[in-house]
Amino acid sequence: MTDTEYHFYSSDPKKVIKELGADILREDLNKMLLIRNFEARAESAYQQGKIGGFFHSYSGQEAIQTACIRAMGVKNWYIATYRCHALALLLGAGADEIMAEFYGKVTGNAMGRGGSMHLYTDRLLGGFAIVGGHTPIATGAAFSLEYLGKKDEVALCFLGEGAVAQGAFHESLNMASLWNLPCIYVIENNQWGMGTAVSRAICIQPIAEKMASSYNMKSYTLDGMDYTNTYAAFKHIHEETLQTRRPVLVEAVTQRFKGHSISDPGFYRTKEELEKAKQRDPIVLLKNYLIESNMLTEDEFKEMNKQNIEIVKKSMEYAEKSPAPDPLTLEEGVFAPEDENIMGY
Amino acid sequence: MKILWGTDMKEIEMREALRQAIDEEMQRDATVFIMGEEVAEYNGAYKVTKGMLDKWGAKRVIDTPIAENGFAGIAIGAAMTGLRPIVEFMSWNFSFVAADQIISNACKIHYMSGGRFKVPIVFRGPNGAAAQVSCQHSHCVEAIYGNLPGLIIISPSNPYDAKGLLKSAIRSNNPVLFLENELDYGDKMEIPEKEYLVPIGKAKVIREGKHVTLVSYSRMLKKCMAAAEELKKKGIEVEVIDIRTIKPLDIATICQSVKKTNHCLVVEEGHIFSGIAAEIGFQIIEHCFDYLDAPLVRLCQKETPLPYAKNMEAETTPTKERIVEALTKLVG
Repeated sequence: MTDTEYHFYSSDPKKVIKELGADILREDLNKMLLIRNFEARAESAYQQGKIGGFFHSYSGQEAIQTACIRAMGVKNWYIATYRCHALALLLGAGADEIMAEFYGKVTGNAMGRGGSMHLYTDRLLGGFAIVGGHTPIATGAAFSLEYLGKKDEVALCFLGEGAVAQGAFHESLNMASLWNLPCIYVIENNQWGMGTAVSRAICIQPIAEKMASSYNMKSYTLDGMDYTNTYAAFKHIHEETLQTRRPVLVEAVTQRFKGHSISDPGFYRTKEELEKAKQRDPIVLLKNYLIESNMLTEDEFKEMNKQNIEIVKKSMEYAEKSPAPDPLTLEEGVFAPEDENIMGY
Repeated sequence: MKILWGTDMKEIEMREALRQAIDEEMQRDATVFIMGEEVAEYNGAYKVTKGMLDKWGAKRVIDTPIAENGFAGIAIGAAMTGLRPIVEFMSWNFSFVAADQIISNACKIHYMSGGRFKVPIVFRGPNGAAAQVSCQHSHCVEAIYGNLPGLIIISPSNPYDAKGLLKSAIRSNNPVLFLENELDYGDKMEIPEKEYLVPIGKAKVIREGKHVTLVSYSRMLKKCMAAAEELKKKGIEVEVIDIRTIKPLDIATICQSVKKTNHCLVVEEGHIFSGIAAEIGFQIIEHCFDYLDAPLVRLCQKETPLPYAKNMEAETTPTKERIVEALTKLVG
């Protein structure tokens, strides 16, 4: 962690635990475990050469998107970076179709055309692989909501702190504020833009607290390792945004436990730093809350973990058995089909 | 025009033809809107959107800040989520600031998502050189964007085609780059008052001839037609083809003509290296090489940024004189 002084959203873990109750909390812990196991096994498959390209792990950041979707529901527009495995899983893409996508199979989430950085659901406009290039897309989704009068939905744009340096970020926030667009920009500050520390890339810290006012926006800072804090904050932010129909800048302070991508050994970070970060593992934190509240036992947790490993193993079998795309289809789908009735020819 | 005998015709300017296309499509479909710099309160830098704010209101005729990357991306996001945006670039040269949105998002999303999302959007505005607007406002962008699968590129040469093609572009489920020309906005032509569409991807023989095929598009066609007229005096009949849609290219219509004339000159306003003429030429070789009685010839912009001085500007793009000279050399 940097020595930046953050003003975290104030929340009481006990209150959140009580509000959500055992079933929901266990469900979300289960989801976080699925994400963790899914990525860990996929990384092994990558090392075995079954998965190619880039692979960006969400390990360490799971609480943020899990709590966000719990607080705001699926029925919004979601936009992710290339670190998009978790969001796709959380928004309803199955482990099977995502693993099949990783394996480059026709049964994959994007028919083997996108790979690990480009995952989709009906509500996920994609993982986008140009840093910051998706912030205008998210802003456009919020524009659509206003244009079409869908007052019960918002747009969620997840971005890394590295994207804050991009011009697209500035242009998006300026127009979202100017035009009153209900876009919630969530900077997941994992401290590193690949191997460049945030303090070497962004001129002012904390990012959201300092920058939001220059866009005439409100800001919130979240403890991204603590599910209860992120949930409480996102719930408040959601309710507020539905009221104001205004954009908001959120910074979730977090740590990734892996390199930027699978090929990054992370030499820029000491072992001690990483170990320290892992002491606040979001899965362990939530697990401990549940055990303390008598909502979970250590054995149940182990069983939960085991079940998730089974789901992931099955997804690998599914991916393995699935056929590769037929090369004859290579040139299909570059263009969307035209509506002949409307085109009139 | 051969079409629509018996329908009422009205002479209008190119800018009015474009405005009618946008207006009619906004009437037909409530999800169609237009955004860009100065399109609303200023009534458009070139007055294509004149009066539209008054008619449709600020919800559908939207002034943007000077932030092409931002508003191009916002429009793409809107297109992915149920709307049909038209984005006006005050000059296509400003699209370079938005290149990431066009190149990495608009043209790739349908394929990359396995068909889960589509991007029905039109980017339009003036392309290429105008009257001494110098190096940074005069580039022809079609060769750059032509290298990107997933984009449709249209460049009409007259008000009739401009209206019919823009209406088709707005109705398309795919990203369309619609290239106009500043010097053409005042061009007048009689067009039908009744609604019509011009299909995307269809070239048109605009002058029949038997000795040589001249392929071009957009503003260059005026020079081509003038050159063809001049060669007629020498007994050379030039067949002129307006490709109208650059991509997908209607190579069949071009080849049909080349098979008849056995000679071909391609004229392009943009630069020669990796240009549209190079693509058309190679496709002719692939499809009807055996019918050529002479090597293909191309006339394009010379390899310099486009200079300010009037005489230099005129010299670097194809002129009527250079077209006449090339045609004469080819078949004279």
